[in-house]
Amino acid sequence: MSTPERAVITGDDPAVAARSVSTSSRARRRSPRRRDRVRGGRAGSDGALPYLLVAPLVVFIGALAIYPTVLTAVEAFFRIDPLTPPTAFTGFGNFSAIFSNNQVRQSIENTGWYILFGVILTVAIGTAIGLLLQRPFRGRGIVLAIVVLPWALPGVVEGVIWSWIYNPTFGVLDSVLKSLHLIGSYQLFIGTHQVETIFLIALVQAWQITPLAALIVLAALQTIPDELYESAAVDGASPWRRVRSITLPLIRPALAIATVEALVMSLNIFDQVYVLNANATTGASIMSTTYFITFQDLNFGQGYALSLLATVATVLISVGVVKLLYRKVDYQ
Amino acid sequence: MSRLLRRIGRSLAFVVLIFWSLFPLYWALKTSLSTNAAAEQTPVQYWITHPTIVSYQAIFGGGPESADAAGGISRALINVVVEATGATILTLVIAVLAAYAFARLRFRLKNVVFYAVIATLTLPVYATLIPLYRIMSDLGLVNTYIGIILVYTSGFLPLALWIMYNVFMSLPFSIEEAARIDGASTMQAFYRVVLPTARPGIAATAIVTFLFGWGQFIFPLVLSSSSSTEPLTVLLAAIDSRNVPYTIINAAAIVAVAIPALIVFFLNRWIVTGITAGSVK
Repeated sequence: MSTPERAVITGDDPAVAARSVSTSSRARRRSPRRRDRVRGGRAGSDGALPYLLVAPLVVFIGALAIYPTVLTAVEAFFRIDPLTPPTAFTGFGNFSAIFSNNQVRQSIENTGWYILFGVILTVAIGTAIGLLLQRPFRGRGIVLAIVVLPWALPGVVEGVIWSWIYNPTFGVLDSVLKSLHLIGSYQLFIGTHQVETIFLIALVQAWQITPLAALIVLAALQTIPDELYESAAVDGASPWRRVRSITLPLIRPALAIATVEALVMSLNIFDQVYVLNANATTGASIMSTTYFITFQDLNFGQGYALSLLATVATVLISVGVVKLLYRKVDYQ
Repeated sequence: MSRLLRRIGRSLAFVVLIFWSLFPLYWALKTSLSTNAAAEQTPVQYWITHPTIVSYQAIFGGGPESADAAGGISRALINVVVEATGATILTLVIAVLAAYAFARLRFRLKNVVFYAVIATLTLPVYATLIPLYRIMSDLGLVNTYIGIILVYTSGFLPLALWIMYNVFMSLPFSIEEAARIDGASTMQAFYRVVLPTARPGIAATAIVTFLFGWGQFIFPLVLSSSSSTEPLTVLLAAIDSRNVPYTIINAAAIVAVAIPALIVFFLNRWIVTGITAGSVK
């Protein structure tokens, strides 16, 4: 589901841990087995109790997460059209169909733009907020609550709120730009130019997910020992130099996590696109295209094929970025 | 001099930050409290001169302005409360019990099961959306509260498990051991000693899960789009494209953000607990 990626979990991010499950020694060290030695005495297991406690979880995840995923992977190779049964095996038929579909190709290109804008906006603004809130000050709690607020609100509702801001007839954006003489007359912002449309929709998503990046960066900043800054100040390093030589290298893992989170969320952008772009091709994302192919055109086979490709891309990209960027830091 | 400049720069940065976070919400609130004529004025008015609550009256009934298109909003509000609360309770019960087993008990295939569950966190919406729709229609659970609560729960469980697992791992084992020595069974020690100690972690998990439930969109769009079960998000997206006055759309948006906003401002401490619970070393 989309939501866990919005988690306010920093440091040991579960998604990151999950992405590096098989290889990371860090994940292995955190394994549940660690506690076992504490329970000395009886060897073996705790009888039937643990199975009873875990059973509901296993049923839920098995039936409603793992089984559907397997189904997606299998059904992508079948022709499924509820309007003209029967279902038949087509091999890569669905895949060649989606790649010759211009709508799909455009949505892949658009999603590339969504990722580019989404990652840059989120990580840059998130890091800036983190640096701004690094030192304790009076009222930091309330500022933090204000910062977190957009994260906690439904993406669709934010899309609706921003659609009124972008409104071509009565919108505040047009009004501001016109009174600043930046535009001569009111403009239609969404749906005219591809890149402009995507940037403005990505901005709405960035508004929602930046708090997560800010919190991830802030948590990392607070683990940096003050002595490092003090000795750098004694050595006469300028504030900018301190940020560049101490802060940025030490928050590298946090930046990696924030980047992956932003990347995955931009790759899966849907709510804001649904509200602001509807089913126009100008700003369609892979997710919105999958939705319309499946539930509007009722072409389930192609919907499955696109879903499978997007799932594989999401998992591969996130694992790849984690491996590329994530290194444990050493304060020495 | 440079000190002064830096302070001015810092203050300016705070103003920009607060403006960035709050302006869109202020704008929606301002519009929701305006008359249609005031909302559609060009150039825009930045302040409300004559606030009115007619849009809210239209939503919740009894207002002079009959808003047929907005009629379903109070029902959609009830739907999202039922669905988010139901999913939160179910998720918590299942995740707390399982997390306790993973953190404290020994059984076969423990690691395999644990990481298989956590790995589902990386699955995007795509992976499960279409099959879940087909499974739910086969079971006759499309457009039911039960169906949407089951789907939400399956999506929220991995994260809740992860947070609760870390919470239990961070609790000292000695308190349970003392209870066990006093003759309590594993489950008695769990109820009487572990659960009360873990309360902050449970609260944090509950809040984060509830916020997820409140904001869901694509799953209910596919699984519960009838007026009897559609949550506020789905209805709002629908009326945004219909010919409903902007004042009423913004009032509905404010209704949809009010509860998460209250949670952030009054339970912020617990959300921060969620942050630390997830990062316990």
